[in-house]
Amino acid sequence: MNRVITAGIDIGAATSKAVVLQNSHLLSYSIIPTGAESVTSAQRAMDEALLKTDKLSLEDIRHIVATGYGRVIVPFANETVTEISCHARGANWLFPSVRTVLDMGGQDCKAIRCDEQGKLVNFVMNDKCAAGTGRFLEVMAQVIGLPLEEIGPASLQAKEEIRINSTCTIFGKSEVTALLRQGRDRQDILAGLHAAIVNRVYTLLRKIGIEPEFAITGGIAKNTGVVKRLEERIGLRVRLPEEPQIVGALGAALFARDRLLEK
Amino acid sequence: MVTSTSARKALKTTLEVPTLRRSYYARTLDESQKGKKVAWCSNNIPSEVLDAMDVTSVFLENYATVIAAKRLASAFCAAGEKVGFSQDVCGYARMLMGYILARDQVPEAPYGGLAKPDFLLVNSYSCDSRLGWFAAMSRALNIPLHVHDAPHQPDGASDSAINADYTERELRGLVAFLEEQTGARFNPERLRKRLDLSRQTSDIMFEINELRKAVPCPMGSADMFTAVWPAMYMAGTKECEDFYSKLRAEVEEKIAKGIGVVPEEKFRLMWSGIPFWYNMSLLNYVEDFGGVVVIEGFYRSRERRLRAQDDDPIRDMALSSTRQRGWPATIINSIDDVLDAVKEYRINGVVLSFNPSCRLSYVSQMELQRSLEEQGIPTLGLECDMADERTYSEGQVKTRLDAFVERLLAKA
Repeated sequence: MNRVITAGIDIGAATSKAVVLQNSHLLSYSIIPTGAESVTSAQRAMDEALLKTDKLSLEDIRHIVATGYGRVIVPFANETVTEISCHARGANWLFPSVRTVLDMGGQDCKAIRCDEQGKLVNFVMNDKCAAGTGRFLEVMAQVIGLPLEEIGPASLQAKEEIRINSTCTIFGKSEVTALLRQGRDRQDILAGLHAAIVNRVYTLLRKIGIEPEFAITGGIAKNTGVVKRLEERIGLRVRLPEEPQIVGALGAALFARDRLLEK
Repeated sequence: MVTSTSARKALKTTLEVPTLRRSYYARTLDESQKGKKVAWCSNNIPSEVLDAMDVTSVFLENYATVIAAKRLASAFCAAGEKVGFSQDVCGYARMLMGYILARDQVPEAPYGGLAKPDFLLVNSYSCDSRLGWFAAMSRALNIPLHVHDAPHQPDGASDSAINADYTERELRGLVAFLEEQTGARFNPERLRKRLDLSRQTSDIMFEINELRKAVPCPMGSADMFTAVWPAMYMAGTKECEDFYSKLRAEVEEKIAKGIGVVPEEKFRLMWSGIPFWYNMSLLNYVEDFGGVVVIEGFYRSRERRLRAQDDDPIRDMALSSTRQRGWPATIINSIDDVLDAVKEYRINGVVLSFNPSCRLSYVSQMELQRSLEEQGIPTLGLECDMADERTYSEGQVKTRLDAFVERLLAKA
């Protein structure tokens, strides 16, 4: 096949990602905060990804698929595909034996089942509530007083797991504040918070069934506290992408390639 | 914020319903002013009996859907919540309680508002929330309430003499109440005429629903959720029968010419549960992808009505309702029904509405969804209130629908 450049762009609630593919080879990617202006973010994400290539421009890209909640407003996209299908496709491409994907994003989480080709078989979403999402952990990290990237490892250092009763982010924040005032250990509180988030997403996974292998995508896949607890809960080793946040955009770029192959 | 519009109809006849509905409500106001007794009713109160007794019936749940379709429900619901009704209470009940108790806080009610009631009639069939709601209205309005009870039949249709006798007693109790309220005597012949006409209309509806099995589908749920209205609220009238005769003729013509809701169907869906009345255009959404919502789980005429079971019209009604499988069906019967319909209508996937304020339907929808998925039938659950548009998020719903379409097309 001649050199075919495709791209995927994922406009999420928290971050915008772009992936550039050349045939089946991942050329470059970018991750930027989405901010208030989704169109500008889409453009910036694309520009940054292109800057990392060997002088490619938007005109070199044969087909662009947009995904994420902001997918319909990307002016330079040729078509849209939902992030559900894109995460399935992307995760399966990275790990061909993956059949169950948990995408834990900034403001929603999804449990996805796919077939051996990465085609969507079933899905269930939680987007009504921040519990189980990146936003929950961001809020809790702030309350605890640790950088986001440190709360996962800290939670694994706990001596005991303090049970957190609230599943709601807002009420959970109050509960954590009260525990800190009581002098409870931060690591123990974090252990309870991580257990709560895992319980939440486990319920989601149970709704569609868990078929090995199992992958986690989205920013929370970088949280070792969540990953380890999920592995223990499910009894399966989790397949983790090197850069879990770009899996949706990767899937979108692959769909873009598929369209060209169909033609 | 809901940005979508009403459903796009495939049939010209369906477009006559809004006029029929406006006339119906105008007539109730007119009759009330002329001194006819007005009953505010729950669904499943047999309007044929009220018509036979010259009582004007106003069905509140339908009025609530009118308010919702005009996207006024959130204001009415908010008014109901202000007077003390929880957000967990049925959206219809909240709206009407807001209308009754906080009239100054709601927008202008559609069709000039409701005719002033003389009494209330509630049927225990299918929904227990209604009983509390109607009791609250009775207190608020200080007017009599009659509860019409119907036996539940766990195994569907039944020859149980106990159930038939009980249903007959309840119907006679309803008649006695109406006689007391109106001062008029019940005329069985008038009821007989209504019942016969009602049966004829039901036959026509049944045929229309059979015709909808055609490929391509000539009439989908986008039409039927509107077109079912006369059968629910004008049963036993010539006007109602004429409407469905015309509808049937149009559906037959579509089939003869091979005209479907979409020219080339890629997938066929069922909509299970109460739709979102403020955004009926969701029923058209999949048409852009080559899909069509062919049939609905609720409000569908499943079987031909039984022929007259007795010369006495009250006994006839009692025997018919207990011997006919239908409401109140158990969860198991409903599931069997849906699984049969999936085969008969060649359904590729089912969209189920999960309505937070309709407790009865919510639980059965969960079981139905599980059963469908076990049979390998793709499903999508959408959780929004049927009337309160504050619970609806366009982006979230459309993402789910888009992903469901992708799932169906990937499977094809």
